[in-house]
Amino acid sequence: MAEVNQQGCLFVGEGVVLKGNFDVPDIASISGTVEGELTAKQVLVEATGVVRGKLTGESIDIRGEVNEHVSSSRSLIIRSTGKVTGSIHYSEIEIEKGGHLHGDLHNLNPHS
Amino acid sequence: MSIFSKNQNPAVNESNANEQPESVEELMAVEQGEALSNGNSEQVTRLESSSRQNVLTKPSIISEGFTFEGTITSDGVLNIAGTVRGKITAKSVLIDSSGQVDGELNSEQLVIKGQLKGDVNCDDLNVGPLARVDGNISYKYIHIQRGGRVAGRFIKG
Repeated sequence: MAEVNQQGCLFVGEGVVLKGNFDVPDIASISGTVEGELTAKQVLVEATGVVRGKLTGESIDIRGEVNEHVSSSRSLIIRSTGKVTGSIHYSEIEIEKGGHLHGDLHNLNPHS
Repeated sequence: MSIFSKNQNPAVNESNANEQPESVEELMAVEQGEALSNGNSEQVTRLESSSRQNVLTKPSIISEGFTFEGTITSDGVLNIAGTVRGKITAKSVLIDSSGQVDGELNSEQLVIKGQLKGDVNCDDLNVGPLARVDGNISYKYIHIQRGGRVAGRFIKG
């Protein structure tokens, strides 16, 4: 753990509740609850993670729950345990069987 | 049977006495035939049921270049490689990479590899990597493969 470069990363442990706006330069790994806006380069919402509010990132991997708004400029993956409700803006999307999706989807590049 | 007996009789050179018991046997066979008819009808219904199952598993195919406007209802599998404008109700629908559907679609299983515009009501939805889906989609289980482009409202349940 000491060897991994943790500069710019945010780790939210299970049971931790954060409220506010967060700007993360690198990786955000959420196992707890985040309420508010979260912007990161790479977002991992783990199985116990809950994000309520606006989630923005380049690549987003969802195994937990995300509500209200998701925006991904590169890739968005909703795993089989993932649950996303609200409006979703994506460039590339993948939903594993079992994934839960309820809301409006918008493709950021409608051409080609 | 009578043809065979006629052919055999000159070759074997058996007496006519054999013919009569054969005719008697034929008569008995007819009578037995009635008794067997129940068994035959069982065979017939077995054939019918297997052909009915064949009817339900054989897909109806709308090939590339075929444009259909109207309502389609099917109890089985529907393969769409052409263009369909209208309402589709089927058990299992496959929209091939050249397929385009414009309108309402109701099915249990739906695999989209082509284009779909409109309202969808299905249980199991699978979107392929070259697919383009536009519309309100109501589903129970969903699987979207990387590369698939979907837009619109997704409603689970």
